[in-house]
Amino acid sequence: MGAEELHGSLHALRGEFEGVRLINRERREDMPQAQVKMDVRKVNDDVSVIDVKGELTAFAEGVLMDAYNQASDGKVHAIVLNFEGLEYMNSSGIGLLVTLLIRVNREKQRLLTYGLSEHYRNIFQITRLDDAIGIYDSEEEAVRAGAA
Amino acid sequence: MTDQTPQSEGRGEERQPSREPRDAAFWAQRVERLEVSDVPAGAANVNVQGRREVGALQGFGQLWQKTYRVHLAGVEVTPEEAVRIWKERFPEFQPPNSRFYPSMAGVAPGEVLFISASVGGMPVYTGVRVIYADDESFTVMTPEGHPESGWNTFSAYTDEDGTTVAQIQSLARANDPVYEIGFRIMGATEQERIWTHVLKSLAAHFGVNEPVTMEKVCVDPKLQWSQIKNLWHNAGARSMLYTMVGAGRWMRGLMRRRGT
Repeated sequence: MGAEELHGSLHALRGEFEGVRLINRERREDMPQAQVKMDVRKVNDDVSVIDVKGELTAFAEGVLMDAYNQASDGKVHAIVLNFEGLEYMNSSGIGLLVTLLIRVNREKQRLLTYGLSEHYRNIFQITRLDDAIGIYDSEEEAVRAGAA
Repeated sequence: MTDQTPQSEGRGEERQPSREPRDAAFWAQRVERLEVSDVPAGAANVNVQGRREVGALQGFGQLWQKTYRVHLAGVEVTPEEAVRIWKERFPEFQPPNSRFYPSMAGVAPGEVLFISASVGGMPVYTGVRVIYADDESFTVMTPEGHPESGWNTFSAYTDEDGTTVAQIQSLARANDPVYEIGFRIMGATEQERIWTHVLKSLAAHFGVNEPVTMEKVCVDPKLQWSQIKNLWHNAGARSMLYTMVGAGRWMRGLMRRRGT
């Protein structure tokens, strides 16, 4: 094989490879990213509530940790996650909650939740998050428990 | 094989146009304890039947998040295709000292995968249950007695360059003090070798020979002494007993046959 022929083959191969990358890049642009919104409310001196709306997946990490930093400002004793607006959660979302729980415990705070549908309560039981995260039916109950 | 999965329940016409979340079909149903009705050929139902599942909060040792990645560079494969192949050929990608035996249903929510591993020459029979599986990922959770307490998520995604990346992320801690010591002395390296082998094998299936990267973060350095009771279920010790009792029975049978 001559040098020119080899150069041509390599050029064609490179073109093919770039084509694959281009297709994949287009696919990536179609992919959904973080689809979650978290609002922080300070209910009283002891408790902050994070309203989770949307999807809890790996993409939500930054949003969740930012919300926690905002919520734990001051001398808050408990962080309450409001899951009434939770639309989707995968196993990476569960991993995020574990990481958050460890951070909360490190700050000597408590992590509580309310607004979980039956489906998500089941997931908390499957993954045994319910052993460590208090689950309540309403905001009132969760806030009362957090302030206790 | 074990419990009915949401997927197999049939999302029939009779069902109301439900308010069921989009992820409902991907999660396993809750079970109090693992129930195994059918054991795949070659697998040992030891340390699986009747065990409770344990997550990253229930174990004894330090909590580690380890992320292994390989870029499937130069091939046209979507994350969905990569994960489909991964599910189908999961046992083939394991190293010889860590054999997985899936049920007939394969890697699907609620299914149990039996494990026959060898650690330092000693057998360890245990298993994991698939708690989550969608088109781009699946997650297994460990039972009591397993060396680790937590989850492993196997997934694929497209990176900024448009290359598909296969990833294993484990969030787990050693289940009891013996495992914790073992992991600190040599076990962690062995575990890392296993997942590196799995990613290398997956990449090789697509004709890719790229390096596997690993990042590890100690999420919680504390030991959970309240979980020291987990020692009772230690699958390593129980597997050794199981093997010794089996060998004893075999010897007795042999001597009886020779005596008659």
